[in-house]
Amino acid sequence: MAAFLEIRNLSVSFTTPDGIVHAVNDIDLDLNEREVLGVVGESGSGKSQFWLAVMGLLAKNGRAEGSVKLEGEELLGLSHSRLNRLRGEKMTMIFQDPMTALNPYLTIGRQMTEVLTSHRKIKRREAERRAIEVLKAVHITGAEERLGMYPHEFSGGMRQRVMIAMALLADPKVLIADEPTTNLDVTVQAQILALLNELRDQFGTAIVFVTHDLGVIAQIANRVVVLYGGRTMEQARVKDLFAQYRHPYTEGLLYSVPRLDAVRTERLVTIAGNPPDLARLPPGCPFAPRCVYVEPRCRRQMPPLEAVGPDHLRACFHAGDLGRLQAAT
Amino acid sequence: MNTGKLLQVEGLKVYFPVRSERLFAKTRWLKAVDGVSFEVAERETLGIVGESGCGKSTLGRALLRLVPVTGGRIMFDGHDLLTLNEKAMRPLRRQLQIIFQDPLASLDPRMTVGNIIDEPLSSLLPNLHRSERLKRIREAMRRVGLLPNQINRYAHEFSGGQAQRIGIARALVVEPRLMVCDEPVSSLDVSIKSQVINLLQDLQAQFGLSLVFIAHDLASVRHIAERVVVLYLGRVMEVADRDSIYLAPRHPYTQMLIAAVPIPDPTVSRKHKLDVVRGELPSPLDPPTGCPFRTRCLYAIERCAAERPELRPVGKSQVACHRAEEISTPSRENNGG
Repeated sequence: MAAFLEIRNLSVSFTTPDGIVHAVNDIDLDLNEREVLGVVGESGSGKSQFWLAVMGLLAKNGRAEGSVKLEGEELLGLSHSRLNRLRGEKMTMIFQDPMTALNPYLTIGRQMTEVLTSHRKIKRREAERRAIEVLKAVHITGAEERLGMYPHEFSGGMRQRVMIAMALLADPKVLIADEPTTNLDVTVQAQILALLNELRDQFGTAIVFVTHDLGVIAQIANRVVVLYGGRTMEQARVKDLFAQYRHPYTEGLLYSVPRLDAVRTERLVTIAGNPPDLARLPPGCPFAPRCVYVEPRCRRQMPPLEAVGPDHLRACFHAGDLGRLQAAT
Repeated sequence: MNTGKLLQVEGLKVYFPVRSERLFAKTRWLKAVDGVSFEVAERETLGIVGESGCGKSTLGRALLRLVPVTGGRIMFDGHDLLTLNEKAMRPLRRQLQIIFQDPLASLDPRMTVGNIIDEPLSSLLPNLHRSERLKRIREAMRRVGLLPNQINRYAHEFSGGQAQRIGIARALVVEPRLMVCDEPVSSLDVSIKSQVINLLQDLQAQFGLSLVFIAHDLASVRHIAERVVVLYLGRVMEVADRDSIYLAPRHPYTQMLIAAVPIPDPTVSRKHKLDVVRGELPSPLDPPTGCPFRTRCLYAIERCAAERPELRPVGKSQVACHRAEEISTPSRENNGG
């Protein structure tokens, strides 16, 4: 079965005063219907630019190359109007800070119904009914009264619910959520995660969840891709990634974070060095400068992404076992 | 009075006036910190946790008198800080330092690293000779893992993790005895967080520092702090040593916070129940009567609305809950099913 969203050799570059910045380098990725794909990466991993490119929302100085096919239709190079239509109907994206995505001067009701009345020629009464329906789906109480309220009258968690509700208005096939819970409290995050899980079950929406938190991935995703320096390091089913990770960077992420469910250690394991500067990526593997398993060829050549198990890919030359960081905890 | 405690906070209150636009309307008070007491011993790390809006950052700032304090006492090394005028406070400012959450926002991008670190030095120790200042700046940079040749670089040239090291060097250079760390790793990348946490622990051991570590990330707090204060709407819900807090949380709010932390293990977290996580923080302008947490609490009874529970010893912990004894403390193991 062909994937619902099929991304091949996607590269994203930006022309900047410092020269060309390669934010995403030659990434392949599939998204299947009804799945939750976790995308893990830190600053400079290219995780946000990758999905902005898929949505056709790159900044003016950005350039995407490769192929992005949604149900067989090529999106790169598509006309503005067609892309706008697809973004309304099939895929939609929510961001970390809902306050910047909402208009502070318009009521929530106006912002929600406008999408439907102007783009889809739906009558206002009907649009309001639909807005109330999706607000209820994201568990906002008193939805009828809330339509008359302004964004600042909502708490951070509520605003993120409103964003999710707006994304659901058009009943999309794909919801791309870029760090939607990063600035929220753990309690609110837990509620949003539960909500997204519920929406996937209820509406069959495929969800892309971009985050730097492996705990969140474990809780929500079926499949996960780990990005670093604009490249895929590892890709696997969630249970396989946690049980049998095969990339040194994944190991670093898993073991450098203090965990509530593990015995406390005196010292934390660290990944030495700093996140990569995309304007000055080293030749070879971008993680090589920080890798404890580094070999000479890692610094010359990018290891290819190879299958190491069913649905399990990794890009690493290291042939022996991993576990040095695990042993150090 | 010498109790061996470096810092003693008693009944601390920070109220902010909120004026209404209505003519002759009564000024309402936002009680950001409402009667908080705790102690910090020499070389101890005290963690302060709670959701945003619980008053933890205001509390941290109040300890350094960076916000006006409404009431209570702050005893630091035998000095009653709230009775001191600015001149008498000055020598103590050297001993009390703070580092902030967003290192890039809290450093002037147009200043060089050397100038940033020199700032507290030249204002708090103005009599030091230039050469001695330079020596101390270099030493502070070395301690936090910055390179000597970075002294003339600008703050904006650094990544978040490096910038936080500059912020720590700036606090460290005046040789403080107590450092308030307000969400010092929250905005850092995952791979950098552990570096900075290890650095803070190393510095504490080397200099015998006391730390007040404020964070919403419970796992980091459990790692670094020996004792933990749990705040909710400006009030202390629970105080306990780190093992008691995480293995046997007594207050329903502490239980909720811990249940909400996602565990990086798909076999655990899929089963992990989130039923205890409910509701939202009420407006601090209009807090519930009685126990502030009762509107979200699974165990609330009539008494909780009528009578505010005071902090009292329960087992090894201090808990502000009428029903602390009856409430079982679900451990992560038996809470899965």
